[in-house]
Amino acid sequence: MTSPGGAPGPFDPQGVVWQPVSTRLIRARLVSALPFVLVPAVLLALAAAASGVTGLWFVVAALALLTMWIVWVIPRQVHAYGYAERNDDLLIRRGVMFRSLVVVPYGRMQFVDVKAGPVDRWCDIAAVKLHTASVHTDAHIAGLAPAEAARLRDRLASRGEAQLAGL
Amino acid sequence: MNAQLGPIPSGTTAPGAPTPLGRPSAGPDGLVWRRVHPVTPLVKGWKAIAVMAAVIAQQAGDNLARGLDLVRGSGVLVLLGGLLAVVLLVTGLSWLSWRMTRYAIDAQAVHLRQGVIFRQQRQARLDRLQAVDIVQPIVARIFGLAELKLEVAGGADSAIKLAFLKESEANGLRNELLARAAGVVTAERGVDAPVPAPPPERHIVSVPLSRLIGSIVLTPSMLVVVIVAIAVPAGMIIAGDPGAIVLLPATLFSVVGVLWKEFNQGFNFQAAIAPDGIRLRHGLTEARSQTLPPGRIQAVRLRRRLLWRWADWWRVDVNVAGYGQKQGATETVLLPVGTRDEALLALWLVLPDLGVPDARAFLDAALNGSGSGSAAGFTTCPRRSRWLSPLAWRVQGVALTDRAAILRRGRFSRVVEFVPFERTQSVGISQGPVARGFGVATLTLHSTHGAIRPVVDHLAAADVADLANQVVNRSRAARATAAPEQWLSRVRAAGLPVAGPVGAAGGGS
Repeated sequence: MTSPGGAPGPFDPQGVVWQPVSTRLIRARLVSALPFVLVPAVLLALAAAASGVTGLWFVVAALALLTMWIVWVIPRQVHAYGYAERNDDLLIRRGVMFRSLVVVPYGRMQFVDVKAGPVDRWCDIAAVKLHTASVHTDAHIAGLAPAEAARLRDRLASRGEAQLAGL
Repeated sequence: MNAQLGPIPSGTTAPGAPTPLGRPSAGPDGLVWRRVHPVTPLVKGWKAIAVMAAVIAQQAGDNLARGLDLVRGSGVLVLLGGLLAVVLLVTGLSWLSWRMTRYAIDAQAVHLRQGVIFRQQRQARLDRLQAVDIVQPIVARIFGLAELKLEVAGGADSAIKLAFLKESEANGLRNELLARAAGVVTAERGVDAPVPAPPPERHIVSVPLSRLIGSIVLTPSMLVVVIVAIAVPAGMIIAGDPGAIVLLPATLFSVVGVLWKEFNQGFNFQAAIAPDGIRLRHGLTEARSQTLPPGRIQAVRLRRRLLWRWADWWRVDVNVAGYGQKQGATETVLLPVGTRDEALLALWLVLPDLGVPDARAFLDAALNGSGSGSAAGFTTCPRRSRWLSPLAWRVQGVALTDRAAILRRGRFSRVVEFVPFERTQSVGISQGPVARGFGVATLTLHSTHGAIRPVVDHLAAADVADLANQVVNRSRAARATAAPEQWLSRVRAAGLPVAGPVGAAGGGS
């Protein structure tokens, strides 16, 4: 998997094979995001039709554009999401417009969280989060198949133990 | 319940014959439970009483006339009676909480039990000890008492606080705990093994009062005070409306509060080094004596504020896992203000070996230099970054030595951050759409929670990738050779109680 732009950059370290996350994450994210846009849009459209105020239609149009943008960007974000297990560290890459890459050494790991909310469970995915002694480490992998999440958790825990370092 | 639970003053606590050391024998759980000083409820309750008095005073101030009426009538008895009841209640509760507070120390851990309704038992492993503080609020000082605070890296509110102990007791306990944590007193030698005399400490640096005041005068906050103090009366005269004067105290109050805090906490600042760690003493009203064991410091920051430029004054802050980040935290100040040599000395205490051949030249480049200057090896922003950081693009950069990553920022004020490779938690790079347009990216090193967040913006994307990769590799190597948790075993192995300053500080300017 290469970066969405195609060109190798700082977010594509050499020799790293990225694992994609499940495409079911697209559905989960759309389900979580769209109601916040669509419900106000529909209500505003009804209000606009009832009251006949033209200005409201512009807001509805803006919300419709926002919806289209969300529908366009979420799949791209999910496809840009990736992680890679190297011998000593875990790499997590994400973002389309605002891209980031974090390298977490296994020995620095303090604990691992596996989480799945109601929407996640409906879409049959789970999220894994690594915690180091730094609160700024943003090592969060969403959209893993539950089995893969469990495997990753166990693997991270065992590798963390093997390479345990102090603070 | 055994007799141990009675109200016995600490120090001479428990049943059983005291050992020659004055130590009582162990209880049924193998631990010697001790109490904090019996005056504690008074010292703690005093705060509540003061708060109450303040509230009452404020109320009385709000409607003084009614208050006077009340005093003239029979209300005064009710008032005094109510006051007495509250005082008794507060004192009673404090006494209960004192009765329930007990601590014990064994070879591996410190145990603390407290709480009246919600009981709490806390145990902190000594080999996880991050810092030991002795804190003396002003009332405790009057009684000759002190609070012993043991920081472990457990996030917010994870410290073990033993409040209050006799000052000498707190000092003795601190030395004992540090000795145990350092591995001087090992588990095999048992709980009652004699603790060696406190190691001699060497005075390193102190902050003269004049410089502390000078440093506070030369801050942007002080400028705000001056501007407000001039602008508001001036505006009043121009507008001819004296009503604005009421804004003055309110505006100044918060700023002055910050400045006062800085003064109060930086007052009489002393730094010393002992084999068991760096000792910091400071504080006007609340005296604080901190011990930071070696190897517990996660990152160091040298900072020169805008107006300190001409005096070449520097402030040194550190990240320590246990302290976390509180608003205006004082614990993490290694030196509130010092000359360049003093700041470098403070840095040397924490990072004796920067891993560069000519430490002085390197540090001069870090503290003063700009550009990717030859010897220092700073990777700075490419020329195209001048559109993104027009002032600092020549300055902001990263240098990687054998031991640490050094991040440099700031054209007029200056921030230099040092993160030892064996302490980096993780590494991040990021890039927004504008940065991508310029082909630049941001490098972040993740340190533990604290004042220092090492990050450099607008470096060339290729450089960032290369730097991140190098940090990852060097951190891995550093972790593999990291020192043991029981640090004194290492110091003794090296055969040096305290080494003298090397090139970093001894070089002269």
